[in-house]
Amino acid sequence: MTDSSSTTSLSSDWKKIAGPLGAFTILAFAIPALLSGNRYLAFVAGITLIHIVWTSGMNLLYGYTGLMPLMFAGIAGISAYFAVDLTASGWSFWVALPVGALAASIAGTILGLPSLRLKGFYFTLCSLVIQTVITLGFVYFANLTNGDTGISQIPLPAAPGSGTISAPAFDLILAAAAVIGVVVLIAITRSALGKRLIAIREDDELAEMLGINVTRYKMTAFFIGSLFAGVGGALYAPYIGFISPRSFDVLISMNIWLMVAFGGRGTIWGPVAGAVILVPLSFLLQEYYTVKDVIYGLLIIAVIVLMPGGIASGLKRTTRATEPVAAGAAEQRGAK
Amino acid sequence: MTNVLLEARGVSKRFGGVVALKGIDLVQHQGETLGMIGPNGSGKTTFVNLISGHLKGNSGSIRFDGRSIEGRNPYQIAQAGLTRTYQAVRVFGELTVRENVGTALVDAPSALGQDGVRELADWLRIGHRFDARAGGLTLLEQRQVELLMRLVQRPKLIMLDEPVGGLSSVEVRVMIAILAELKSRCTIFVIEHTMKVIRELADKVVVLLAGEKLAEGPPADILADQRVIDRYLGNIDA
Amino acid sequence: MSNANWILFLSTLSTGLILGSIFSLVAAGVTIVYGSIWMPNAANGQFFLLAALFGWTLTVSWGIHPAIAAILVIGVSVPLSYLLEVLLIKRFYDVPNRNISYFVLSLGITQILAGVFSLTYGQWSDQFQLPPLITGITFIGPFPIANNRLAVLALAIAILAGLFLLLRFHRYGRALRAVFQNRDAAALRGVNVKASYSMSFALGNAVIFAGGILFALAYSFDLTVAWTMAITAFAIMIIGGPGSVLGAVVIGMVFGFTQAIVSVVASPTIAAFSYLGAMLVILLFKPSGLFAK
Repeated sequence: MTDSSSTTSLSSDWKKIAGPLGAFTILAFAIPALLSGNRYLAFVAGITLIHIVWTSGMNLLYGYTGLMPLMFAGIAGISAYFAVDLTASGWSFWVALPVGALAASIAGTILGLPSLRLKGFYFTLCSLVIQTVITLGFVYFANLTNGDTGISQIPLPAAPGSGTISAPAFDLILAAAAVIGVVVLIAITRSALGKRLIAIREDDELAEMLGINVTRYKMTAFFIGSLFAGVGGALYAPYIGFISPRSFDVLISMNIWLMVAFGGRGTIWGPVAGAVILVPLSFLLQEYYTVKDVIYGLLIIAVIVLMPGGIASGLKRTTRATEPVAAGAAEQRGAK
Repeated sequence: MTNVLLEARGVSKRFGGVVALKGIDLVQHQGETLGMIGPNGSGKTTFVNLISGHLKGNSGSIRFDGRSIEGRNPYQIAQAGLTRTYQAVRVFGELTVRENVGTALVDAPSALGQDGVRELADWLRIGHRFDARAGGLTLLEQRQVELLMRLVQRPKLIMLDEPVGGLSSVEVRVMIAILAELKSRCTIFVIEHTMKVIRELADKVVVLLAGEKLAEGPPADILADQRVIDRYLGNIDA
Repeated sequence: MSNANWILFLSTLSTGLILGSIFSLVAAGVTIVYGSIWMPNAANGQFFLLAALFGWTLTVSWGIHPAIAAILVIGVSVPLSYLLEVLLIKRFYDVPNRNISYFVLSLGITQILAGVFSLTYGQWSDQFQLPPLITGITFIGPFPIANNRLAVLALAIAILAGLFLLLRFHRYGRALRAVFQNRDAAALRGVNVKASYSMSFALGNAVIFAGGILFALAYSFDLTVAWTMAITAFAIMIIGGPGSVLGAVVIGMVFGFTQAIVSVVASPTIAAFSYLGAMLVILLFKPSGLFAK
């Protein structure tokens, strides 16, 4: 291909994003370090960083490819249980993490297959059913997951020498994961793959007509998006120290979706902002835990009714006001 | 004539119990502009959908550029150099013209370079609109973008489904002028109701009626054919 | 058959009938709303629970007779539907592909109601039980059945029958069915499509509320019933064919009996797996459902 215009614009594009990316990198490492005196606040920062990994994956699928996978948390859970069980059986966490994430990727790719036949609402409903099946599976296969009770006292990973690594050190690993996640997302959206995914989001039939192998690239999106879910899930388990089927149920999928939609789907920084705003919010309200559900629910309605482009749309090109959020992102001609 | 580019033999398609196409035979040579006419529901768009891989036929064979293409996916057929437009204009409305064209360049094996794209865009008189949102353009401009997206891929055959549909009479003249020049760049297959387009552009015309080929020949002969006049042309504004 | 087997058989039969008719009601409500305004209401389970909890407040807290409470609960659904329609639902009537927007919207409503319920009712009790409509026990052969459950069953079947008569014979019902089949054609034939939207939204929710209060009168329940019901109603609607009331009733009955039988011979998880599996298969291979027109 000799499209030199895209290569020149590519490097200028990177220049444009270098500033925000640099700032984000510094903040991602500095904030947990600065907060390390107060373990609770540092913990909130750490959870936010994990959610940035998740929203990046959800953004790739929902924001850039136009698929709304409500089984996202379930996929993260598959990786979390894998990593915990493998670590418990004597594996190093640093081996268990990629294995768990890869397992989640493969599972996510297979569970994404219905998106080849089903569009819009029908795929989203299908993904909701899949999520419910995964949650039931987590409860049912109690010998692997300890059922509804969940697995508690999951240790932090072993340090290179001896003992486990400290929580502040793990914070920095989370920061690295969040930064890598965002960099990978930026790289994808600036690449030919990004162009293909956006074309699929906008009109998959037209994309196919232009020579794009829609099947292959939808599966690629699911593989990469699920990898994000999996990495986040495997890091989440030892950081929180406790996982149960509730940690990865449909509510969590909706929360991650909301962070992307509220922040601004299909933008790099919108979903990051969504996570940064909404994750600490749920901790502020910890005393009244379910107040969070009410607020998140109100925000879902606000996003659908009032701000289809999320908070980032005020800064970027405004989406047509009549177009509700999900309608634009997902191609809806119903089932084929 | 020159070599055969597209060859359909006995192509049939049923939808449930309804026969949409019945044993269509058709040959198009390289550089030859083929016009397809027929009343609504006669199977013209179904035929294009079968060729471009959007539908799978029930029987018959389709060869393009010396290779069999039936049963292939649309993207494989597109990569082989056969492209099409849709009856209703179809661009990525939320993206800019530049992004639309960029998408067309991603998976086209023999796509044009930057200079070629620029030259084509100027020739299509759409170069000045590259940073506009495609969905905000006029219908004619969107049709031009559609053509640009196809032509940057350097297709061997472009199938146009009613390229002047919905355009004003002034715009129709602009489009016909573009298509007349396009003939020297690419082989054209065109479905049209507007006889002006067929008369001015087509080297050969195929008439479909209720899924069957009624007649085939040079436009002058076809437009004078009594059967075609009785059963189709008599009812429309030629 | 021995006496014990007879009792098991008859109890399974009666449970199947009661659950089946309640499932049918809720699924019919969901499918009426989807068939007309194209809203896949994932909050149907929360609406169902709302009706049940209203019933609990009216009877247990305020001491109102259950029969009057049931009428009040079903009645209150109409202004609630109207309010919801004016506030949120109406805005999307002209949006193409609005079903996904509605779906997400209803997930938001689900989250709000779930949060509100656990902040309120969840603090007050774990299990909720309403006083019976009527007391006493009737023997069918050797098998005792509570008169209350018989009354619930009779009411559920009566409401379903009423729904069928309304849809088939009343002019509102005929207008609704015309809209289900073809919006544009109905509009051309002079049906006021928007008015039929309001009508079907209210009717659908009223039927869901009826299902909720009847369930509460027959069984004790907790807050988790909402999500189970939501998924079950969706499964019934998808398998029966979105927009098909007949499909909702037939599949609802099948699900009720499946639930009753499975709860005797296997774990409820297996039942849930089988519903969801059936729904996935239908979604993938016959998305128009089994009873599509």
